[in-house]
Formats: sequence, structure tokens, C-alpha cells
Amino acid sequence: MASGVSHLSSGKINLNLLRDFYRRELLESLDKCLGTKALVWDDALTGPFGLIAEYSLLKEHEVEKMFPLSANGLPQSNVQNIIFVTRPRLNLMEQIAQTLLQEEHKGGFRKEYHIIFVPRKSLLCERKLKEMGVYGTLNNIEEFNLSMIPFDSDLLSMEMDSAFRECYLENDYTTMYYTAQALMTLQALYGVIPNITGKGDCAKQVVDMMLRMRRELGGREPQITPQIDNLLIIDRNVDLLTPLLSQLTYDGLIDEIFGINNTSVKLPPEKFMTGNQSQEDSIPTEKKKIILNSSDELYAELRDKNFNAVGSIVSKRAKTITQEFDERHSAKTVSEMKQFVSKLPHLQQVRQSLSTHTSIAELVKEHTDTEEFMDSLRCQQDFINGVETDKVCVYIEDCIGRTEPLDKVLRLICVQSYCNNGLKPKVLDYYKREILQTYGYEHLLTLLNLEKAGFIRLHGQRTYPTIRKSLRLIIEDINEQNPNDISYVYSGYAPLSIRLIQYYARPGWRSITEVLNLLPGPTIEEIQQIPVALRKRRASIGSINSSTMDQKVTLVLFLGGVTYAEIAALRFLAQQDDGTNEFIVAATKITHGRGIMRSFIQYSM
Amino acid sequence: CNVINSFNEERLEDRQEELKLAQENYTKARNEFAARQTEEQMKLLKQQQALEEQFNQPFINLSLHQTIHRLTVNANHRVAESLRKEFKVPERRFWWLKIDALAEIGDWTELEKF
Repeated sequence: MASGVSHLSSGKINLNLLRDFYRRELLESLDKCLGTKALVWDDALTGPFGLIAEYSLLKEHEVEKMFPLSANGLPQSNVQNIIFVTRPRLNLMEQIAQTLLQEEHKGGFRKEYHIIFVPRKSLLCERKLKEMGVYGTLNNIEEFNLSMIPFDSDLLSMEMDSAFRECYLENDYTTMYYTAQALMTLQALYGVIPNITGKGDCAKQVVDMMLRMRRELGGREPQITPQIDNLLIIDRNVDLLTPLLSQLTYDGLIDEIFGINNTSVKLPPEKFMTGNQSQEDSIPTEKKKIILNSSDELYAELRDKNFNAVGSIVSKRAKTITQEFDERHSAKTVSEMKQFVSKLPHLQQVRQSLSTHTSIAELVKEHTDTEEFMDSLRCQQDFINGVETDKVCVYIEDCIGRTEPLDKVLRLICVQSYCNNGLKPKVLDYYKREILQTYGYEHLLTLLNLEKAGFIRLHGQRTYPTIRKSLRLIIEDINEQNPNDISYVYSGYAPLSIRLIQYYARPGWRSITEVLNLLPGPTIEEIQQIPVALRKRRASIGSINSSTMDQKVTLVLFLGGVTYAEIAALRFLAQQDDGTNEFIVAATKITHGRGIMRSFIQYSM
Repeated sequence: CNVINSFNEERLEDRQEELKLAQENYTKARNEFAARQTEEQMKLLKQQQALEEQFNQPFINLSLHQTIHRLTVNANHRVAESLRKEFKVPERRFWWLKIDALAEIGDWTELEKF
């Protein structure tokens, strides 16, 4: 678990404040039960909690044991309290009830049982517990409102991976409620956000809930000068294309290939063995876990770069570091030696991280060099350029013939559908038939799901060419090493979502009303009134910190997930505008095309 | 949903029954494509049942593609061919399938022939 959290406070808004808030809340809930405790974890929560509170902190509050929640019951222990930490899901309730019944059966030493629901308890879950006959056994039911988890100084994620599916397939807006709640938490800590803008149906939901919650507070809100100026909410539904394309930035690729969860990635261990390690013990079977955040200087520099630029940066860094090490030979006087020694820990750290990222880059390159990757990329590029989108694509046919992973095939078909403004009935039915015959009849449901969510559709109004042209989505000559436009993150395609944000920042959405009308969902604009005394003062001429006063902080919230490449593009934007715009990214989940497709695939039971 | 139910049913007759219901519902909903596919699935299930009896090997729950693949691996080219015709598998995909399956068992002579 990460103990150093200095990277959270380095941004314009100190996100450590949020982390501290969560820590206090958590400890308060824990301290309500007296005596020694064992925590039983819902697996999906251990990662996020690891970013909030480290084990040593929990230990100080008499947490002695930690178990995963499983069907096998609990190991023997002699703690006084058993605390289940869980999401409000029915299948988890069943497991908890089973565990409780087993514990009762064992009898013996009397324990107390508690549940902490994250982020909210639900009536349905409580009813389930009652039905299973264990509700009475529980001493205490708590809620712990952990929803926006700070990942980095400019990045928050709710880690709710099914948000998009729930909203557009099941019409379940629970996650939107959690999101509105989370925004209220943010406003309590950082002040009321004056300007709210949004696009999309879910964005409207969230804004409405948020405004209502504020009214319910009835003016009892903390009196803080707003630190965040704008809130911009983008519904994933507005831009279904971007997350389907292969990301080409460093951390985008790492996420697509290996999956980054809660800022850490697990990689095959072979590459990371140092000389003496390999002699001592044989090949470690456990995957190597690496934490990725901006506290690693080199990673902070690499993560948003196009992968083609990573190699040269790494080698340049390697050269300078060797040079600095060589300085020790030239150091003659004692003070020179001293200076060198004082730099040593830092140097060693950099060298360590260099070797780590060289290995990661090699692993990524192995993947990007494959024919499958290149072919699929070429196919995508053809589609977004509008080449032969109206016919059955031979490459997709071949992928089906080779029975390549279904998510890859679906992803390509969805891209084609988007770029062709929907497919002709003949083409669509052909694809569908091919998929059913190859991957099985049960995927009829998968296909229906995708149609319902709008990923694949029948030929309709021709909007894509207009959107592409007016938002300049395709850029011909890009510079991957020293980019001058956000399109570098997809090597020639500028993410639609980020273009919208770019126009929002300058000159404003009013200039692109026509395009906005072509995109699905309403456009929302709200202003939250703030007492005069709390308003930011206009920077007067001659004021010393007028430059910092002019800086605008915008919280960009993606409902339904955001990709690392989009985050990279946004960071790039922030650097461009002479630092007048500062972005903080929040999302229901950091995702990628594979993840979205998988949430729609119906697996045979 | 009848489609999900059909996969949960243990007995084959029940599965066919569920699929029939699904098909009727799709027809009612004017989803011709889905109705036709459901019909094909019912046909496939029947075929697979026959194949299981004939070859004493599991076939049920495989997709059509996997079924033909398994038949080719077992060198039952005649049956595979007839399935291909019945379900109108496009040539291109059938080639891929055949190459893949024959390479898997190393039947180079058959691959040569074709």
C-alpha cells in the first residue's frame, strides 16, 4: 500500500484534503465498535481503500485481521468484532449471510457483527439480509461514503465499472446519484462551484440531483471561497467513438494491454529480475505489481506521451543519469564529494525507475509490434477517415474467421457503425449472423445490448462527416515527438470529447451550437449563486498575484468512463493555454474499449 | 428472458421449449432477424443432439463454428460439409476454419487436397 501521498497535493487543488476527509470518516465508523476487529472485504473495494488508508493506520485502530469475503467462510480468529466492508450488491449480501450463518453454527466465543456499506446502504440489501434471517445478528449497519477516490493530483475516479451499462441498458441511475453525492462532498470541501455546464442525458440527471441536494441543504453550507471555477460534465454517450479506438499513449497502452487498477499494474515478472535475485530463488510466479502515479518523476513525464516518443525520452534520460553518476570521478574536493553523496539517493531512485520503465516499454512494444495490432490499427484509421465504411470489411471478416477475441471484433464493428452513421441492413445482418454462428447463439443478447446502447445501429442521419469536419477530428500531419495538437494521443485522431472541452475553454460552446445539436442529449448550463463575500475578487491591475488569480480551475467529469489517452489530451491542453486553464479530471471509471465491450457481452451461463 | 433461461435448463426438451417461446416473442416484437436466428439455433441444437449420440462426444453448447471445427478435427468432413450447406456458412470463413482445424491435427494431406 502506498504510504507517500505527496503527489496528491502538488496540483492546483489539494486533493489530499479529500483523502484526509475520507480517512477521518472511515476511522470514525471503525471506532464506533470497541475492541479488536477483523475486516472482511468485498474484493472490489480493497484496491480503492488501499489508496485511502494504509494497513498500519488501520492497525492503530485495533484492526487485527483482514479476510476476503468468500463462500468458504472465515478462518478461526479471536477478535471481538467482525466488520464486513461491502458494496450494496445482492449477491454479496448472500455471501455475507452465509458467512454469518456458518459463524453462528460454529458457536463458541461471542462476537459482534457489523456491516459498512460503501458508498450507501440500500433498502433492497437490507431486505435481503432480513429474508436470509441474519439481519438480527448484526449489531450495526453503517455507511461509508467513499465515492471519488483521488488517484493523482489531477485525477479522481469512482471505480464503478458498470455505470455506462446501468444507465443506458438497465435504466438504473444509482451511479448518477452517487456521483451527485460525490460532487456535494467536493463542494463541501472546496466550495460551491459557480458555473456548471454539461452535455448528455446523464449529465442532466446529475446536475438536477445536485441542485436539488443543494436546495435541501437550505443554505447550511460551509462558507468557503470557491476553489473550483467550472464544472463540465460530459456524458460518455456524447462520444462513443473515442473509447473504442486503440489508445496510443504510454499509459493508455499499458492499460489496454495489462490493465491498470487503482493506479497499479500487474506485469509478468520475467522482465523485472535483477542479477542476484534470479540466483537465489527460481522464477517468481507472482506477478510484479508496480504503482503508477506522478510521484515517479519519470512516469509523470512519460505517461501522456505517444508511445513512439517514449523510447527517445528514456534513452535521453539514461544518458544524463550515467553522466551524473560519472561525476564522482571528477569530484576532487571533499565538498564536491559531499554534494555528490547528497544527490545519491535521488540518482539511485531515478535509475531504478528507468530500468522499470524500460522493461514496461519493452513489454508494450512486444505487443504493438504484432501484426494483429498493426492491422487492427490500420482498419480503425481507415474507418475514421471514412474509407470503405459502407461495405463488409474484409479484415473484420478475417478476424471472425480466426475466432479472435469477440471484444476486438465488436469494437471494430462499432467503430465502423459510428463512422458510417449506422450500417446498411444487409451489412449489419451479415455481421450479426457471422458472430452468432462463430461465437454462439447466446451473443444475440450481446448484439441487442449494443444496439440498445447505440453502439451499433442502422443507417441513419449522416452526422459523422459534419462532426468530423467542424471539430477537426482528423489531423493529417502530426508530430508524435513534439505534439502541437491533442490528436497525437491517437496518432491523427483528436478525441471528440476533448475537442468539445477545448472549444468550451476557448472560445466557448456558443460558437459550436450546431455541432452540439448533432450530438445526443441536451446541453445544460446552470449558475450557482454564491454570496458576494465569498466570490473571488477580480484581479486588480498591479496586484501581485494577478497571474494566479486569472487561472481558472475546471473540474471535468466523465460519466460512463474516460480513457487514459483522453486524460493525456486534457493535460496537454492545460499546458498549451499559457496555464490559464487548469483541469481536474473525474470519472466514474478509467476505462478502455475492451472494458466497455466486455460490460456488454453476455457470457453463456 | 427466454434466451437466458434456455441456457439454464438442464433438459434438452425444456431448452427447445424456451427457445420456441423466445422465437414467438421476437416475432411479436417484429424482430425478424432475432426470430430467424432463434429458429436456426433450435435446428442446430437438434443437430448437435444427433451428433452427440452418433459420436459419443459433447457438442451441445458449442457454436456452429465450433461444431464444424470439432467435426473437421475428427476428420468427419462429410458431416461438416453438410452443416456448412445447411447453415450457409460463407466460404471465406469456412476456409479459415478448415485451415485452422487441419493445421491443429497436422493433417497436411487433406489441407493439400483443398
